[in-house]
Amino acid sequence: MNQDLTRRTVLAVLAGGAVFLVKKANGQIVWQVNAARCINSRLGDAGVEACNLCTTECVVALSAVRAVNEYSKCGRCNICPAYFNITSAVNELGQPSEKLCPRDAIARKPIGKVDPEDPANNFYEYIIDEEKCDGCGKCVIKCKEPLGLGSITLRVRYDKCVNCNRCSISRACPQNALMQLPIDQAL
Amino acid sequence: MSGLPQVVGRACVILALLVRSAPAQVIPYQRPVDTAPQADSIGGGYKVPAVQKPLPRDYWLQVLDVVALAAAMGISIWLVLKRRSRKWLTALTIASLAYFGFYREGCICPIGSLQNVVVALADPKYSIPMVVTATFVLPLMVALYFGRAFCGGVCALGAVQELVVLKPVQVPRRLDRALGLLKYVYLALAILFAVKPALTRDFLICRFDPFVGFFRRTGAPHMLVLGGAFLVLGMFVGRPYCRYLCPYAGLLAWCTRLARRGVTITPNKELDCGLCAEACPYGAIEKMRAVRRNCLYCARCYSSCPCERGVAP
Repeated sequence: MNQDLTRRTVLAVLAGGAVFLVKKANGQIVWQVNAARCINSRLGDAGVEACNLCTTECVVALSAVRAVNEYSKCGRCNICPAYFNITSAVNELGQPSEKLCPRDAIARKPIGKVDPEDPANNFYEYIIDEEKCDGCGKCVIKCKEPLGLGSITLRVRYDKCVNCNRCSISRACPQNALMQLPIDQAL
Repeated sequence: MSGLPQVVGRACVILALLVRSAPAQVIPYQRPVDTAPQADSIGGGYKVPAVQKPLPRDYWLQVLDVVALAAAMGISIWLVLKRRSRKWLTALTIASLAYFGFYREGCICPIGSLQNVVVALADPKYSIPMVVTATFVLPLMVALYFGRAFCGGVCALGAVQELVVLKPVQVPRRLDRALGLLKYVYLALAILFAVKPALTRDFLICRFDPFVGFFRRTGAPHMLVLGGAFLVLGMFVGRPYCRYLCPYAGLLAWCTRLARRGVTITPNKELDCGLCAEACPYGAIEKMRAVRRNCLYCARCYSSCPCERGVAP
Protein backbone atom coordinates (compact mmCIF):
# COMPACT_ATOMS: atom_id res chain seq x y z
CA MET A 1 0.00 0.00 0.00
CA ASN A 2 1.20 3.49 -0.72
CA GLN A 3 2.29 4.77 2.70
CA ASP A 4 2.19 8.45 1.80
CA LEU A 5 -1.37 8.10 0.60
CA THR A 6 -2.45 6.25 3.74
CA ARG A 7 -0.79 8.82 5.96
CA ARG A 8 -2.54 11.61 4.13
CA THR A 9 -5.85 9.79 4.47
CA VAL A 10 -5.40 9.35 8.23
CA LEU A 11 -4.32 12.97 8.54
CA ALA A 12 -7.40 14.09 6.64
CA VAL A 13 -9.64 11.98 8.87
CA LEU A 14 -8.04 13.43 12.00
CA ALA A 15 -8.28 17.00 10.73
CA GLY A 16 -11.86 16.46 9.54
CA GLY A 17 -12.84 14.98 12.90
CA ALA A 18 -11.21 17.88 14.70
CA VAL A 19 -13.04 20.44 12.57
CA PHE A 20 -16.32 18.60 13.15
CA LEU A 21 -15.78 18.64 16.93
CA VAL A 22 -14.69 22.27 16.97
CA LYS A 23 -17.80 23.27 15.02
CA LYS A 24 -19.93 21.32 17.47
CA ALA A 25 -18.41 23.07 20.51
CA ASN A 26 -20.82 25.51 22.12
CA GLY A 27 -19.11 27.25 24.99
CA GLN A 28 -17.56 26.11 28.20
CA ILE A 29 -19.40 23.74 30.52
CA VAL A 30 -18.63 23.90 34.24
CA TRP A 31 -19.74 22.13 37.41
CA GLN A 32 -21.93 23.91 39.94
CA VAL A 33 -23.75 23.04 43.16
CA ASN A 34 -27.51 23.14 42.89
CA ALA A 35 -28.40 24.88 46.17
CA ALA A 36 -32.00 23.65 45.96
CA ARG A 37 -30.75 20.06 46.12
CA CYS A 38 -27.72 20.36 48.41
CA ILE A 39 -28.74 18.96 51.79
CA ASN A 40 -26.86 21.78 53.55
CA SER A 41 -28.81 24.57 51.91
CA ARG A 42 -32.16 23.16 50.81
CA LEU A 43 -35.16 23.77 53.07
CA GLY A 44 -36.26 21.14 55.52
CA ASP A 45 -33.93 18.61 57.13
CA ALA A 46 -33.20 21.05 60.00
CA GLY A 47 -31.16 19.54 62.79
CA VAL A 48 -29.30 17.02 60.64
CA GLU A 49 -25.52 16.96 60.59
CA ALA A 50 -23.83 19.04 57.91
CA CYS A 51 -22.75 16.99 54.89
CA ASN A 52 -19.06 17.51 54.15
CA LEU A 53 -18.65 15.33 51.08
CA CYS A 54 -17.64 18.39 49.05
CA THR A 55 -14.60 18.70 51.32
CA THR A 56 -13.66 15.05 51.39
CA GLU A 57 -14.36 14.08 47.78
CA CYS A 58 -12.98 17.01 45.78
CA VAL A 59 -9.64 16.35 44.09
CA VAL A 60 -8.48 19.92 44.74
CA ALA A 61 -6.61 20.68 47.98
CA LEU A 62 -9.17 21.76 50.62
CA SER A 63 -11.90 21.73 47.99
CA ALA A 64 -13.00 23.71 44.96
CA VAL A 65 -16.37 24.08 46.69
CA ARG A 66 -16.47 26.98 49.12
CA ALA A 67 -19.17 28.59 51.21
CA VAL A 68 -20.26 31.86 49.63
CA ASN A 69 -22.25 34.52 51.45
CA GLU A 70 -24.69 36.24 49.11
CA TYR A 71 -24.52 39.60 50.88
CA SER A 72 -27.78 40.91 49.49
CA LYS A 73 -29.60 38.07 51.26
CA CYS A 74 -27.62 38.20 54.53
CA GLY A 75 -29.62 39.26 57.61
CA ARG A 76 -26.46 40.72 59.19
CA CYS A 77 -27.71 39.33 62.50
CA ASN A 78 -26.25 40.32 65.84
CA ILE A 79 -25.96 36.67 66.84
CA CYS A 80 -25.32 34.92 63.54
CA PRO A 81 -25.97 31.17 63.86
CA ALA A 82 -23.38 30.50 61.16
CA TYR A 83 -20.71 32.61 62.85
CA PHE A 84 -21.31 31.60 66.48
CA ASN A 85 -21.84 28.14 67.82
CA ILE A 86 -25.16 29.11 69.35
CA THR A 87 -25.24 26.04 71.56
CA SER A 88 -22.08 27.10 73.41
CA ALA A 89 -22.14 28.89 76.78
CA VAL A 90 -22.75 32.64 76.85
CA ASN A 91 -19.78 34.87 77.66
CA GLU A 92 -19.75 38.23 79.45
CA LEU A 93 -20.63 40.09 76.22
CA GLY A 94 -23.86 38.17 75.98
CA GLN A 95 -22.61 36.23 72.96
CA PRO A 96 -21.98 32.52 72.51
CA SER A 97 -18.38 31.86 73.50
CA GLU A 98 -17.46 29.62 70.59
CA LYS A 99 -17.32 30.19 66.87
CA LEU A 100 -18.86 27.67 64.55
CA CYS A 101 -16.32 27.56 61.73
CA PRO A 102 -13.61 25.00 62.49
CA ARG A 103 -11.19 26.88 60.24
CA ASP A 104 -12.08 30.36 61.49
CA ALA A 105 -12.87 31.47 57.97
CA ILE A 106 -15.72 33.88 58.77
CA ALA A 107 -14.88 37.45 59.75
CA ARG A 108 -17.38 39.66 61.57
CA LYS A 109 -17.33 43.41 61.56
CA PRO A 110 -19.92 45.88 62.82
CA ILE A 111 -21.74 48.15 60.39
CA GLY A 112 -21.91 51.73 61.64
CA LYS A 113 -22.30 52.48 65.34
CA VAL A 114 -22.95 49.66 67.80
CA ASP A 115 -25.67 50.39 70.33
CA PRO A 116 -25.22 48.01 73.30
CA GLU A 117 -28.75 48.79 74.57
CA ASP A 118 -30.45 47.56 71.40
CA PRO A 119 -28.62 44.46 70.20
CA ALA A 120 -31.35 43.46 67.76
CA ASN A 121 -30.78 46.57 65.68
CA ASN A 122 -27.03 46.28 65.43
CA PHE A 123 -25.88 45.03 62.05
CA TYR A 124 -22.78 43.04 61.35
CA GLU A 125 -21.13 42.14 58.12
CA TYR A 126 -20.00 38.52 57.79
CA ILE A 127 -17.32 37.96 55.22
CA ILE A 128 -16.13 34.45 54.41
CA ASP A 129 -12.44 34.16 53.69
CA GLU A 130 -12.74 31.76 50.79
CA GLU A 131 -9.02 30.96 50.92
CA LYS A 132 -9.51 29.44 54.38
CA CYS A 133 -12.88 27.80 53.71
CA ASP A 134 -12.90 24.11 52.84
CA GLY A 135 -16.60 23.85 52.05
CA CYS A 136 -17.52 21.69 55.04
CA GLY A 137 -21.03 23.12 55.04
CA LYS A 138 -21.36 23.67 58.79
CA CYS A 139 -22.24 27.35 58.35
CA VAL A 140 -24.45 26.62 55.36
CA ILE A 141 -26.74 24.29 57.25
CA LYS A 142 -27.11 26.81 60.10
CA CYS A 143 -27.87 29.78 57.90
CA LYS A 144 -31.25 28.62 56.63
CA GLU A 145 -34.82 28.61 57.81
CA PRO A 146 -35.73 28.79 60.62
CA LEU A 147 -32.46 30.02 62.15
CA GLY A 148 -31.09 32.07 59.27
CA LEU A 149 -32.11 33.52 55.96
CA GLY A 150 -30.19 31.11 53.76
CA SER A 151 -27.67 33.59 52.41
CA ILE A 152 -24.75 31.17 52.64
CA THR A 153 -24.59 28.42 50.04
CA LEU A 154 -21.92 26.10 48.77
CA ARG A 155 -20.56 27.02 45.35
CA VAL A 156 -17.91 25.77 43.03
CA ARG A 157 -15.13 28.35 42.77
CA TYR A 158 -13.94 28.37 39.19
CA ASP A 159 -10.44 29.59 40.01
CA LYS A 160 -10.02 26.44 42.11
CA CYS A 161 -12.05 23.90 40.13
CA VAL A 162 -10.06 21.85 37.62
CA ASN A 163 -13.29 20.94 35.81
CA CYS A 164 -12.91 17.17 35.94
CA ASN A 165 -14.74 15.28 33.26
CA ARG A 166 -16.75 13.57 35.95
CA CYS A 167 -16.65 15.60 39.16
CA SER A 168 -15.65 13.35 42.08
CA ILE A 169 -18.14 15.09 44.35
CA SER A 170 -20.93 14.42 41.89
CA ARG A 171 -20.10 10.74 42.05
CA ALA A 172 -20.41 10.77 45.85
CA CYS A 173 -23.25 13.27 46.36
CA PRO A 174 -26.36 11.41 47.57
CA GLN A 175 -28.59 14.30 46.47
CA ASN A 176 -27.19 14.59 42.93
CA ALA A 177 -26.64 18.24 43.72
CA LEU A 178 -23.77 18.79 41.30
CA MET A 179 -24.66 19.61 37.75
CA GLN A 180 -22.96 20.77 34.60
CA LEU A 181 -23.96 24.12 33.21
CA PRO A 182 -22.75 26.54 30.56
CA ILE A 183 -20.44 29.01 32.27
CA ASP A 184 -22.70 32.04 31.76
CA GLN A 185 -25.59 30.33 33.58
CA ALA A 186 -23.47 28.98 36.41
CA LEU A 187 -22.20 32.16 38.08
CA MET B 1 -48.00 31.17 72.68
CA SER B 2 -50.20 32.25 69.81
CA GLY B 3 -48.80 35.77 70.04
CA LEU B 4 -45.35 34.65 69.06
CA PRO B 5 -44.51 34.59 65.39
CA GLN B 6 -44.59 31.09 64.04
CA VAL B 7 -41.01 31.25 62.82
CA VAL B 8 -39.69 32.05 66.28
CA GLY B 9 -41.72 29.20 67.72
CA ARG B 10 -40.13 26.80 65.25
CA ALA B 11 -36.72 28.21 66.08
CA CYS B 12 -37.30 27.54 69.76
CA VAL B 13 -38.25 23.93 69.09
CA ILE B 14 -35.15 23.42 66.98
CA LEU B 15 -33.05 25.13 69.59
CA ALA B 16 -34.48 22.96 72.33
CA LEU B 17 -33.36 19.93 70.33
CA LEU B 18 -29.95 21.42 69.73
CA VAL B 19 -29.20 22.47 73.30
CA ARG B 20 -30.34 19.36 75.12
CA SER B 21 -26.82 18.25 75.88
CA ALA B 22 -25.25 21.73 76.10
CA PRO B 23 -24.60 23.64 79.34
CA ALA B 24 -27.49 25.59 80.80
CA GLN B 25 -26.12 29.05 80.00
CA VAL B 26 -27.08 29.23 76.34
CA ILE B 27 -28.34 32.26 74.52
CA PRO B 28 -32.05 32.02 73.64
CA TYR B 29 -31.63 32.34 69.92
CA GLN B 30 -34.15 33.97 67.73
CA ARG B 31 -33.68 35.40 64.33
CA PRO B 32 -33.95 39.18 64.58
CA VAL B 33 -34.98 39.81 60.97
CA ASP B 34 -37.21 38.10 58.44
CA THR B 35 -35.80 39.89 55.44
CA ALA B 36 -32.26 40.94 54.75
CA PRO B 37 -31.56 44.63 55.47
CA GLN B 38 -30.33 46.39 52.36
CA ALA B 39 -28.01 49.33 51.90
CA ASP B 40 -30.85 51.87 52.21
CA SER B 41 -32.38 50.34 55.36
CA ILE B 42 -29.01 50.04 57.08
CA GLY B 43 -28.07 53.59 56.15
CA GLY B 44 -24.85 55.37 56.98
CA GLY B 45 -23.59 55.10 53.42
CA TYR B 46 -23.25 51.33 53.74
CA LYS B 47 -22.45 49.53 50.54
CA VAL B 48 -23.33 45.87 50.00
CA PRO B 49 -20.07 44.15 49.14
CA ALA B 50 -19.85 42.34 45.83
CA VAL B 51 -19.88 38.56 45.96
CA GLN B 52 -16.69 37.08 44.63
CA LYS B 53 -17.31 35.22 41.42
CA PRO B 54 -13.96 34.05 40.15
CA LEU B 55 -13.88 32.99 36.52
CA PRO B 56 -12.17 29.88 35.20
CA ARG B 57 -8.72 30.06 33.70
CA ASP B 58 -8.55 32.58 30.86
CA TYR B 59 -9.21 31.23 27.41
CA TRP B 60 -5.91 32.46 26.03
CA LEU B 61 -4.09 30.56 28.78
CA GLN B 62 -5.90 27.40 27.70
CA VAL B 63 -4.79 28.07 24.14
CA LEU B 64 -1.28 28.62 25.50
CA ASP B 65 -1.35 25.06 26.87
CA VAL B 66 -1.96 23.74 23.36
CA VAL B 67 0.79 25.96 21.96
CA ALA B 68 3.13 24.72 24.70
CA LEU B 69 2.21 21.15 23.81
CA ALA B 70 2.97 21.72 20.13
CA ALA B 71 6.21 23.57 20.92
CA ALA B 72 7.38 20.88 23.33
CA MET B 73 6.78 18.20 20.70
CA GLY B 74 8.69 20.25 18.14
CA ILE B 75 11.61 20.66 20.52
CA SER B 76 11.49 16.97 21.39
CA ILE B 77 11.74 15.99 17.71
CA TRP B 78 14.59 18.42 17.11
CA LEU B 79 16.54 17.27 20.18
CA VAL B 80 16.16 13.59 19.42
CA LEU B 81 16.46 13.49 15.65
CA LYS B 82 18.83 16.41 15.02
CA ARG B 83 20.73 17.30 18.19
CA ARG B 84 20.69 13.65 19.34
CA SER B 85 21.16 14.87 22.86
CA ARG B 86 19.96 12.89 25.85
CA LYS B 87 21.06 15.67 28.22
CA TRP B 88 18.87 18.35 26.66
CA LEU B 89 16.01 15.93 26.29
CA THR B 90 16.16 15.30 30.03
CA ALA B 91 15.97 19.04 30.54
CA LEU B 92 12.87 19.15 28.32
CA THR B 93 11.39 16.22 30.25
CA ILE B 94 11.86 18.07 33.53
CA ALA B 95 10.39 21.25 32.04
CA SER B 96 7.35 19.34 30.73
CA LEU B 97 6.88 17.63 34.07
CA ALA B 98 7.03 21.00 35.79
CA TYR B 99 4.58 22.69 33.41
CA PHE B 100 2.10 20.01 32.30
CA GLY B 101 2.47 18.02 35.51
CA PHE B 102 2.96 20.17 38.54
CA TYR B 103 1.84 23.56 37.26
CA ARG B 104 -1.15 22.46 35.18
CA GLU B 105 -1.76 19.60 37.62
CA GLY B 106 -1.98 17.00 34.89
CA CYS B 107 -5.03 18.57 33.20
CA ILE B 108 -5.68 18.66 30.33
CA CYS B 109 -3.74 15.81 28.77
CA PRO B 110 -4.12 14.01 25.43
CA ILE B 111 -4.60 10.68 27.21
CA GLY B 112 -7.71 11.85 29.03
CA SER B 113 -8.94 13.97 26.11
CA LEU B 114 -9.44 10.72 24.26
CA GLN B 115 -12.55 10.14 26.37
CA ASN B 116 -13.93 13.61 25.69
CA VAL B 117 -13.55 13.03 21.96
CA VAL B 118 -15.36 9.70 22.26
CA VAL B 119 -18.17 11.28 24.28
CA ALA B 120 -18.45 14.18 21.84
CA LEU B 121 -18.74 11.77 18.93
CA ALA B 122 -21.33 9.64 20.72
CA ASP B 123 -23.45 12.30 22.44
CA PRO B 124 -24.73 15.09 20.20
CA LYS B 125 -25.45 17.31 23.22
CA TYR B 126 -21.97 17.10 24.69
CA SER B 127 -19.86 20.20 24.15
CA ILE B 128 -16.16 19.55 23.79
CA PRO B 129 -13.88 22.57 24.22
CA MET B 130 -11.72 23.40 21.23
CA VAL B 131 -8.51 23.07 23.23
CA VAL B 132 -9.39 19.50 24.20
CA THR B 133 -9.87 18.53 20.56
CA ALA B 134 -6.54 20.11 19.66
CA THR B 135 -4.81 18.38 22.58
CA PHE B 136 -6.12 15.06 21.35
CA VAL B 137 -5.31 15.48 17.68
CA LEU B 138 -1.85 17.13 17.75
CA PRO B 139 0.25 14.25 19.15
CA LEU B 140 -1.44 11.83 16.75
CA MET B 141 -0.60 14.04 13.79
CA VAL B 142 2.99 14.28 14.97
CA ALA B 143 3.10 10.50 15.38
CA LEU B 144 2.06 10.10 11.74
CA TYR B 145 5.29 11.83 10.68
CA PHE B 146 7.85 11.38 13.45
CA GLY B 147 6.71 8.62 15.81
CA ARG B 148 5.94 8.96 19.49
CA ALA B 149 7.64 12.31 20.06
CA PHE B 150 4.87 13.18 22.52
CA CYS B 151 5.79 10.30 24.82
CA GLY B 152 9.45 11.28 25.03
CA GLY B 153 9.88 14.66 26.61
CA VAL B 154 6.34 16.02 26.66
CA CYS B 155 3.84 13.74 28.40
CA ALA B 156 3.80 14.48 32.13
CA LEU B 157 2.83 10.93 33.04
CA GLY B 158 5.70 9.65 30.95
CA ALA B 159 8.11 12.25 32.32
CA VAL B 160 7.57 11.29 35.94
CA GLN B 161 8.35 7.66 35.07
CA GLU B 162 11.21 8.60 32.75
CA LEU B 163 13.01 10.34 35.61
CA VAL B 164 12.81 7.39 38.00
CA VAL B 165 14.29 4.78 35.61
CA LEU B 166 17.17 3.48 37.73
CA LYS B 167 18.22 -0.04 36.84
CA PRO B 168 15.92 -1.27 34.09
CA VAL B 169 15.68 -4.98 33.41
CA GLN B 170 14.83 -6.34 29.96
CA VAL B 171 11.33 -7.74 30.06
CA PRO B 172 11.21 -11.04 28.11
CA ARG B 173 9.94 -10.26 24.63
CA ARG B 174 6.87 -12.47 24.82
CA LEU B 175 5.79 -11.15 28.20
CA ASP B 176 6.37 -7.60 26.95
CA ARG B 177 4.10 -8.25 23.95
CA ALA B 178 1.40 -9.88 26.07
CA LEU B 179 1.38 -7.10 28.65
CA GLY B 180 1.35 -4.57 25.82
CA LEU B 181 -2.09 -5.85 24.82
CA LEU B 182 -3.46 -4.65 28.16
CA LYS B 183 -3.51 -1.08 26.88
CA TYR B 184 -5.98 -2.02 24.18
CA VAL B 185 -8.22 -3.64 26.78
CA TYR B 186 -7.99 -0.45 28.85
CA LEU B 187 -8.73 1.63 25.75
CA ALA B 188 -11.82 -0.45 25.03
CA LEU B 189 -13.01 -0.16 28.65
CA ALA B 190 -12.43 3.60 28.69
CA ILE B 191 -14.47 4.01 25.49
CA LEU B 192 -17.19 1.72 26.81
CA PHE B 193 -17.61 3.70 30.02
CA ALA B 194 -17.43 7.06 28.23
CA VAL B 195 -20.20 6.39 25.71
CA LYS B 196 -22.76 5.65 28.43
CA PRO B 197 -25.62 8.13 29.03
CA ALA B 198 -24.63 11.33 30.82
CA LEU B 199 -25.41 10.40 34.42
CA THR B 200 -23.80 6.96 34.43
CA ARG B 201 -20.86 8.08 32.32
CA ASP B 202 -17.46 7.56 33.84
CA PHE B 203 -14.01 8.67 32.81
CA LEU B 204 -11.82 5.74 33.78
CA ILE B 205 -8.56 7.16 32.48
CA CYS B 206 -8.87 10.29 34.63
CA ARG B 207 -10.20 8.44 37.63
CA PHE B 208 -7.45 5.84 37.63
CA ASP B 209 -4.61 8.10 36.57
CA PRO B 210 -1.88 6.89 38.95
CA PHE B 211 0.25 10.05 38.92
CA VAL B 212 -2.25 12.90 38.96
CA GLY B 213 -2.34 12.71 42.76
CA PHE B 214 1.35 13.63 42.86
CA PHE B 215 0.81 16.50 40.44
CA ARG B 216 -1.97 17.88 42.59
CA ARG B 217 -0.20 17.05 45.86
CA THR B 218 -3.47 15.57 47.08
CA GLY B 219 -5.62 12.62 46.19
CA ALA B 220 -7.32 9.45 47.31
CA PRO B 221 -4.91 7.33 49.43
CA HIS B 222 -5.33 4.20 47.31
CA MET B 223 -4.48 6.11 44.13
CA LEU B 224 -1.39 7.65 45.73
CA VAL B 225 -0.27 4.18 46.84
CA LEU B 226 -0.87 2.87 43.32
CA GLY B 227 1.12 5.76 41.86
CA GLY B 228 3.95 5.09 44.30
CA ALA B 229 3.89 1.41 43.33
CA PHE B 230 4.13 2.36 39.65
CA LEU B 231 7.12 4.59 40.38
CA VAL B 232 8.90 1.89 42.40
CA LEU B 233 8.19 -0.63 39.65
CA GLY B 234 9.34 1.98 37.13
CA MET B 235 12.83 1.99 38.65
CA PHE B 236 13.33 -1.57 37.37
CA VAL B 237 10.82 -1.87 34.53
CA GLY B 238 11.04 1.20 32.32
CA ARG B 239 7.82 3.23 32.17
CA PRO B 240 5.35 0.45 33.00
CA TYR B 241 2.26 2.65 32.64
CA CYS B 242 3.26 3.89 29.17
CA ARG B 243 4.17 0.48 27.82
CA TYR B 244 1.41 -1.66 29.24
CA LEU B 245 -1.54 0.51 30.23
CA CYS B 246 -1.64 3.89 28.51
CA PRO B 247 -4.67 3.75 26.17
CA TYR B 248 -3.44 6.71 24.15
CA ALA B 249 -0.18 4.86 23.50
CA GLY B 250 -2.27 2.33 21.60
CA LEU B 251 -3.49 5.04 19.22
CA LEU B 252 -0.02 6.56 18.92
CA ALA B 253 1.54 3.16 18.22
CA TRP B 254 -0.95 2.65 15.43
CA CYS B 255 -0.13 6.05 13.90
CA THR B 256 3.62 5.38 14.04
CA ARG B 257 3.18 2.57 11.54
CA LEU B 258 2.85 5.30 8.94
CA ALA B 259 5.62 7.48 10.35
CA ARG B 260 8.00 8.98 7.82
CA ARG B 261 10.88 9.31 10.27
CA GLY B 262 11.82 7.95 13.65
CA VAL B 263 14.80 7.33 15.87
CA THR B 264 17.62 5.78 13.86
CA ILE B 265 20.49 4.95 16.10
CA THR B 266 23.33 5.51 13.66
CA PRO B 267 22.03 6.51 10.28
CA ASN B 268 25.31 6.24 8.39
CA LYS B 269 27.41 3.49 9.87
CA GLU B 270 26.08 0.69 11.99
CA LEU B 271 28.27 -1.77 13.81
CA ASP B 272 25.41 -4.08 14.76
CA CYS B 273 27.07 -4.48 18.16
CA GLY B 274 23.75 -4.55 20.00
CA LEU B 275 24.85 -2.19 22.78
CA CYS B 276 21.89 0.04 22.09
CA ALA B 277 19.42 -2.80 22.59
CA GLU B 278 20.84 -3.33 26.05
CA ALA B 279 20.71 0.37 26.80
CA CYS B 280 17.05 0.70 25.82
CA PRO B 281 14.99 0.41 29.00
CA TYR B 282 11.78 -0.04 27.01
CA GLY B 283 12.70 -3.02 24.87
CA ALA B 284 12.08 -0.95 21.76
CA ILE B 285 15.15 -2.09 19.84
CA GLU B 286 14.59 -5.30 17.93
CA LYS B 287 17.13 -6.77 15.53
CA MET B 288 19.41 -3.77 16.15
CA ARG B 289 16.80 -1.28 14.93
CA ALA B 290 14.49 0.97 16.91
CA VAL B 291 10.88 -0.10 16.50
CA ARG B 292 8.85 3.06 16.02
CA ARG B 293 5.77 1.51 17.57
CA ASN B 294 7.55 1.13 20.91
CA CYS B 295 10.26 3.79 20.78
CA LEU B 296 9.54 6.41 23.42
CA TYR B 297 12.00 9.04 22.13
CA CYS B 298 14.24 8.98 25.21
CA ALA B 299 17.55 9.13 23.28
CA ARG B 300 19.30 6.74 25.67
CA CYS B 301 20.50 4.55 22.78
CA TYR B 302 22.69 7.32 21.39
CA SER B 303 24.91 7.55 24.43
CA SER B 304 25.41 3.79 24.43
CA CYS B 305 26.54 3.77 20.81
CA PRO B 306 30.28 3.69 20.12
CA CYS B 307 29.74 5.37 16.76
CA GLU B 308 27.72 8.12 18.29
CA ARG B 309 30.34 8.80 20.94
CA GLY B 310 33.11 8.80 18.38
CA VAL B 311 34.90 5.84 19.97
CA ALA B 312 34.47 3.52 17.02
CA PRO B 313 35.72 4.56 13.58
